[in-house]
Amino acid sequence: MTVRSIVVEGLGRRFGDFVAVRDVSFHVEKGEIFGYLGANGAGKSTTIRMLSGLLEPTSGRALVAGHDIAKAPDKVKASIGYMSQKFSLYLDLTVRENLEFFGGIYGSWGRALSRRVDETLESIDMRSLAETSTAALPGGLRQRLALGSALFHKPPIVFLDEPTAGVDPASRREFWKLIRGISSAGTTVFVTTHYMDEAEYCARIGLMVAGKLVALDTPAALKSEWVPGRILRFEGEGLVRALSEIRRTHGVVEAQSFGNGVHVRFDPGHTTDQSVLAAVAALPAVKVRLTEPVEATLEDVFLAAADRKAEDAVRGGAS
Amino acid sequence: MTAPTETSAPTSSPRAARKHARSGALRRIVAIARKEALHVQRDPRSLYLALGMPIVLLLLFGYGVSFDMDHLPVVLVDEDRTPESREIADRVFASGDLHMVGRASSGDEAHGIFARREAHAVLILPRGTSESIGRGEAVEAQLLIDGVEANSAAQLQGKAESALRSASLAMSVEAMGPRAVAIPTEVRLSTWFNPEERSQLYLVPGLAAYILAIVAVLLTALTVSREWERSSIQQLFVTPVRTYEIMLGKLVPYFLLGVVAEMTVFVVGAWVFDVPMRGDPLALASASLLFLLGMLGQGMLISIVARNQMVATQVATMTSMLPSMLLSGFVFPIENMPLPLQVISNVVPARYFIHALRGVLLRGNGFPEIGFDLLMLTAFACLMLFAGTKRFKRELA
Repeated sequence: MTVRSIVVEGLGRRFGDFVAVRDVSFHVEKGEIFGYLGANGAGKSTTIRMLSGLLEPTSGRALVAGHDIAKAPDKVKASIGYMSQKFSLYLDLTVRENLEFFGGIYGSWGRALSRRVDETLESIDMRSLAETSTAALPGGLRQRLALGSALFHKPPIVFLDEPTAGVDPASRREFWKLIRGISSAGTTVFVTTHYMDEAEYCARIGLMVAGKLVALDTPAALKSEWVPGRILRFEGEGLVRALSEIRRTHGVVEAQSFGNGVHVRFDPGHTTDQSVLAAVAALPAVKVRLTEPVEATLEDVFLAAADRKAEDAVRGGAS
Repeated sequence: MTAPTETSAPTSSPRAARKHARSGALRRIVAIARKEALHVQRDPRSLYLALGMPIVLLLLFGYGVSFDMDHLPVVLVDEDRTPESREIADRVFASGDLHMVGRASSGDEAHGIFARREAHAVLILPRGTSESIGRGEAVEAQLLIDGVEANSAAQLQGKAESALRSASLAMSVEAMGPRAVAIPTEVRLSTWFNPEERSQLYLVPGLAAYILAIVAVLLTALTVSREWERSSIQQLFVTPVRTYEIMLGKLVPYFLLGVVAEMTVFVVGAWVFDVPMRGDPLALASASLLFLLGMLGQGMLISIVARNQMVATQVATMTSMLPSMLLSGFVFPIENMPLPLQVISNVVPARYFIHALRGVLLRGNGFPEIGFDLLMLTAFACLMLFAGTKRFKRELA
């Protein structure tokens, strides 16, 4: 039996005339890693702020850990952990003092508090740094400490708002190891991110574009729905200038420059790798040095979704 | 990692729930207070502010802003040149208020003397001075004063007048016996509570209010704005902590610091400036703590609204320094202010604190006499803390 940690129904928030979040509905299972993707200003943070009891919704409703966010924000706050993109612990305090402070805020006291501090230090692998000033920690460790204090009171749900922004790749990988660990221990993780490679770790992903939730599914399902077909990567000369001609090639759905090459997506029902390759190589002023098949990424999904939303807006058919 | 938290543990009865909520609030307040104390410990600028600044300001102002003047430099012109005129001059300069810096042959030299800043006044004893004394009549001496030194000019006039009058009177009595001298009608002054008329007695209580206002407002002005800048306030607000708990928790360490600052001011005042303690110490303590709470509350409100440490510091300095200096009766008596300023001074808490301080320290007052001051100080403190809590909630949404 699955238990729903978060249930969101028709949630919306407007600031004056501006609609930051419009009619969003989804739910998150217990222990799931739920990713929330979207550009800046797409409404990710506003959604998180509503779900963590910081901001009242102007329409719809949501249950977090069984508590209505509008009616019982205090109960919601007691059952969630929250970690924001901006490091918001106290730099002049030591690692231990920061944890003790947040423990105290959640009502922990005396021996129970110091035991829990040690446990938390252990779980984020920072025991040897307990007496270090937080200001002396590098970014990756600061984020780990922030995660530790978000999890200090053992919340059933934790909200991570771009937790790895500005952190080096090695630290990001370490960080995600921790996140997978807490998820498999049964804690629900609701995470927003800019990094598409991180989004791959999520069990399911919601895509926010301009305040609307335009897609929600597993990463694999999102890819096959939004970027169907096969993708070939070309590297060489003259490719970018020939993009429009490549797009006119039989069976090709889309061609985009990507890094120092070009990604060509085609429908395998209509054409084959060989004929696409031959067609591209035959174009004038194009010299192909390298060809390889690549997987669709969530970035492709994201771009496709943003495009369709833009098309909808142009047609005036915003659903 | 999903065990129920202590705070969300189900409670069986409403009474137990209330008790649970109370202890939770207390724990959160203590946690905030401890954290705030650590900030103070790590960045001892607030310690210097609370402990150093009162002493420095008190000594600086206490010695510097004295309205008492002695050794006022005077040049003597003795046109009479008699033993009597010499003696009257000796007597006039004997008190030390006026100090003879030289002699001149006539009043015509006064212009040069003032221009060269050799003296602030020229005292001329005219011909016939000895006869006037001999007949028991008033001596018609002349005093030329440099009006540029406006402050000393007023004092010179008073001091020279009274010194001359008492000197000539005494000499007439000695010469002719008391019966023969027609003593002019005279108001006999009797100054109560401050018989030596030391302006420090009057100034130090005002100074205490002024210093405490600055120190207390500055102490809290940074505490919330710092958290806005660092965005740690967001992190606080996703916890079950309430705005009033944050405010109370933050007040605790600064309140203790403020109490130390107050005691410093009073001890230095008593020690260095001999300010007496004639009234009820409990009344003094009540007024001081209420004033402190109001000023800390004002700093907190500024801190919440400003969101930025720079702005908070500036606003805190302006709003604490100017009113408590200019509109409190510290320097300028409130009764002499233009009516609009008098009205504004009604909402300046320093006004009530200074009134209470002068009452308790100098006039020997207790609770009954300063009841209204305590009431107004309480009202101000409540208003500030209430407004702070309200604003805090609004700023956050």
